[in-house]
Amino acid sequence: MTKTNTVEEIVSQPYKYGFITDIETEKIPKGLNEDVIRLISDKKKEPKFLLKFRLRAYEQWLKMKEPDWSGLTYSKVDYEELVYYAAPKQNIKKQSLDEVDPKLLETFDKLGIPLGEQKRLTNVAVDAVFDSVSIATTYKEKLAEHGVIFCSISEAISEHPDLIEKYLGTVVPINDNFFAALNSAVFSDGSFVYIPKGVECPMELSSYFRINSGDTGQFERTLIIAEEYSSVSYLEGCTAPMFDTNTLHAAVVELVALDNASIKYSTVQNWYAGNEEGIGGIYNFVTKRGECRGKKSKISWSQVETGSAITWKYPSCVLLGDNSIGEFYSIALTNNFQKADTGTKMIHIGKNTKSKIVSKGISAGQSKNSYRGLVSISPNAEGSRNYSQCDSMLIGDKASANTYPYIQSKQPQSNIEHEASTCRISEDQLFYLQSRGIDFEESVSMLISGFCSDVFNELPMEFASEADKLLALKLEGSVG
Amino acid sequence: MISSTSKTILSIKDLHASVEDQHILHGVNLLVNEGEIHAIMGRNGSGKSTLSKVIAGHPSYKILSGSIHFKGTNILELAPEERARIGIFLGFQYPVEIPGVSNLEFLRVATNSRRKELLKSELDTFEFEDLVKERLKIVEMDPAFLERSVNEGFSGGEKKRNEILQMALLEPTISILDETDSGLDIDALRIVASGINKLSKPSSATILITHYQRLLNEITPDFVHIMADGKIIKTGDKDLAIDLEKTGYDFIDKNSKDREMAK
Amino acid sequence: MKSSAICREWINSLPPPQGYLKKEQTIGRELLLKKGMPSNKDEAWRLCNLNKLNSFLSLPEFNKRDLSSKIKSIFPEKDNDRERIIINPHENPIKDINLPNGIDKLSDMEIKENLGEIVKLTNIKNDVSVCLNQAASSELLALKIKSNFHESLEIVLPSIAENSVFTRIFLLIEEGAKLDLLQVFIGKNNSAQNHLIEIKLESNVELTHGLISMGEGHQSSSICTLAVEQSEKSKYSLHSIHHGWNYARFEPRIIQSKGEASTIMKGLQVTKSKEQIATHSLIRFEGPNGKLDQLQKAVASEYSHCIFNGSIAVPQNAQKTEAAQLSRNLLLSKRARIDTKPELEIIADDVSCTHGATVSQLQEEELFYLLSRGIDNDHANSLLLQGYYEEVVSNFPTSANKWNFIEKLIREIKK
Repeated sequence: MTKTNTVEEIVSQPYKYGFITDIETEKIPKGLNEDVIRLISDKKKEPKFLLKFRLRAYEQWLKMKEPDWSGLTYSKVDYEELVYYAAPKQNIKKQSLDEVDPKLLETFDKLGIPLGEQKRLTNVAVDAVFDSVSIATTYKEKLAEHGVIFCSISEAISEHPDLIEKYLGTVVPINDNFFAALNSAVFSDGSFVYIPKGVECPMELSSYFRINSGDTGQFERTLIIAEEYSSVSYLEGCTAPMFDTNTLHAAVVELVALDNASIKYSTVQNWYAGNEEGIGGIYNFVTKRGECRGKKSKISWSQVETGSAITWKYPSCVLLGDNSIGEFYSIALTNNFQKADTGTKMIHIGKNTKSKIVSKGISAGQSKNSYRGLVSISPNAEGSRNYSQCDSMLIGDKASANTYPYIQSKQPQSNIEHEASTCRISEDQLFYLQSRGIDFEESVSMLISGFCSDVFNELPMEFASEADKLLALKLEGSVG
Repeated sequence: MISSTSKTILSIKDLHASVEDQHILHGVNLLVNEGEIHAIMGRNGSGKSTLSKVIAGHPSYKILSGSIHFKGTNILELAPEERARIGIFLGFQYPVEIPGVSNLEFLRVATNSRRKELLKSELDTFEFEDLVKERLKIVEMDPAFLERSVNEGFSGGEKKRNEILQMALLEPTISILDETDSGLDIDALRIVASGINKLSKPSSATILITHYQRLLNEITPDFVHIMADGKIIKTGDKDLAIDLEKTGYDFIDKNSKDREMAK
Repeated sequence: MKSSAICREWINSLPPPQGYLKKEQTIGRELLLKKGMPSNKDEAWRLCNLNKLNSFLSLPEFNKRDLSSKIKSIFPEKDNDRERIIINPHENPIKDINLPNGIDKLSDMEIKENLGEIVKLTNIKNDVSVCLNQAASSELLALKIKSNFHESLEIVLPSIAENSVFTRIFLLIEEGAKLDLLQVFIGKNNSAQNHLIEIKLESNVELTHGLISMGEGHQSSSICTLAVEQSEKSKYSLHSIHHGWNYARFEPRIIQSKGEASTIMKGLQVTKSKEQIATHSLIRFEGPNGKLDQLQKAVASEYSHCIFNGSIAVPQNAQKTEAAQLSRNLLLSKRARIDTKPELEIIADDVSCTHGATVSQLQEEELFYLLSRGIDNDHANSLLLQGYYEEVVSNFPTSANKWNFIEKLIREIKK
């Protein structure tokens, strides 16, 4: 199938990031075994402890079964057919942007993430990850002045092995679940952030993930550590070319917030979702978890999920520190044959911990959009509170919206409130907007952004409007 | 204000319409010329609101027969937004709340779509803010309402002022104001009425749909129509409204009985 | 011992399949052998304290043919305008009763046509609760409520100690009938009850269904499966109370087979000491314009555990469904636990569905207000609890009052 053909087929859902970069890639042979893991570790010149970490994870993974509990059916991944390491052929240890292959810079330009000195985004530092490796990180020096470490995780492994050894796998243990174990065994690259004590990170940090190869699994690993009294806002974006096969993306993200630290983690996920018949697209099976280890610490997840054939992810907060706060703001939009099963877990362990969940699901076409969440209050979490709100909007009578909010409380001095609703676009609201001269499509898109506004307000300024546009784009042609 | 050279803005002929299979309008005839103010009065359920929704193009209402022409063009095939752009404005009896949609942004998008039709340049955020601040004065509205969601949590009076603000921004050729006076206290009524008066121009026209005489004390109509059973059964000048206030709607029953008898 | 071996041993202890439920018994036993007892890996039994299920298989099955008049006398006096049927699980339940006008025994043909159909329709054929019942039930109360019937009926199970009891009931309510039904299940020391109730509401039927389920004494368990089919324009309101059981599981499964019907479910479950009570409700709308108003309240004190799982399914053909579900929970002790999980699966787009859940303690301000008026702590607490129960209790048939269940509820729970 030629590229233009594919584009023409996807009328209702123009995916403008579907191009493939023609670049020479170094790949290791298909399949997974101990030797492959040793090879990856060797290629990345990793210290021994990390190889051990990987091998332990691999051992666990072999004992685990691929989950099938959420009613999501998908053609199972053949793990022997995947390539676990792919990298553009270039000097990996690049000293400056000048040494980065211009084709790669051009790719990120096209994605709207210019990396070059003149064009790069002001006030946003970007780590660009292409297939398995990080190719460039901007503003590194400026951040270093504040003691902030922002680099690829590979670089962190060689430059700051002590931090990696201390924190890696402590939030998401290697045997946490099937995909986390797989990631721990074979993870290739990702971002690392360390904010020292008392530092408010001077700019937004952002990672941009790009899958280019069709048969490569993407297993990135992100670790963010916020020391006492520090704060950081981090954003990740993701795109992939259009292939008619399914590509696996099994990332692990770990966040650690110490006393009075705050981490805000935002995601705009726009992986290729498959075509209108549901062929192709990314399997997005991601484990994201943050631990509020310190007193009065705060972790806030916000996500705009529009892509992927299947999304299976529950960014969670473990609220260990007394008075710590967890937040989850989510917009999940599904169209055609997409399936999204997403939500959060708020585990209240410390006293007076608070959590807030706002989830907005929009399902169109024949897609399936589920909110699945857990609020758990343990016996010691006196004075804890949770408020959850889950709203679904259905567009058309073939899409489905499911809500599964688990609530579990073992502490009487706590309060949990959950509200949920399902609606469609109100005809009266639509008529009101139209009667003021605003055309149908624009009225619909205004109403949808209105529906999502609680979550948009939580996104970093630079990306809120981007996310809004993304939603409008995704829904084109699906309403009416 | 009425002159023989007046141009016709709205012409409704023998209009029949239904909603949810209920036949509501039974042959409405109405002619509105430039510079005129018409009042339509009648009981609940007489078809006043239906008439306004039908003119604005609400999709739930079905036209069974008859015609509506705006400046000589048949508008029955036009979408609601197209009608709004060519200058038809409906002030809602119950303006709907739209949580999450910024009032300011909504007003700007609406204003620009009308301006585009009038071949005027679109206004950017800053230019629009200047315009809206100036128009706010007409309805004596607090700028804080611009920052909120469309009508969300507005009191009845605030919603009506927001309607007149939209009218001020869209500068329609014909404004149909559906029970704009209902739920307003005396002060709010004066403000809204003076807003409407300020906005009326020789080249535009207004239709006031109302229950009571009190709005008509503030805005003097050129014609008063009385609607019953989906028809205009009587037309007169402002004195008709005053009579109506005195005698109540009972005379309509008498009237319709007389008509029955005549048959 | 493995769960399948335990099942086999239990089945062997039962009399061989016989009587007119022979076929059901055979099927139930086969299924049970195949499936075994539930494990925590089954999502529906994930939170169940499985040890508490043992008594269903270990207690001797009740098999006395006559109930002594002594047992009857412990029931409160019945109202004159209300028929009462006392079930003996091992005897034809309506042998000694003159059925009132408007209620008939179902003919063998009608039983053959209808029995098990609603179980099938509600998709619970393979549920362990149902298999257990089918395997053991040897009698059936099968009644037809005719169109002209507009009265009340009580169905009461005598409280039997030291035994397991399995009952099966089928009610066919004919077009236009109006029935006020009160069911009372009382469990005594060391007993286990399993009930399977099927109710078919034909069109234009109005059924108010009160279900009082009380455990009295130690170690009483109950599993009650209620499968209801509602035809169009029927109104079903279910009011249930479960308390005092060491273990209780209530599974109302309601299908609006053509939509166009209205369902009200108001449930209350109250636990203390180490009790566990679970409600697993499901409603499915198989046609447009259906309505649901559901409220489930739970109160857990001491070391106890309340579970609520409420499924609502709105498939594509169920446009204009209006469903509202609310789960309200009071957690009164640090050792108690509440699990609540609404489950909404919606495909139709023109629907209005809401659900909500809260977990909290009694409101301190309300309590303080009462205390500040000189009411003592215990009394204030009972007043507040009474207020909390009111929403569910108030709609019970008035004749339910004589069962004194509210007093019992309040007496039992002390903060």
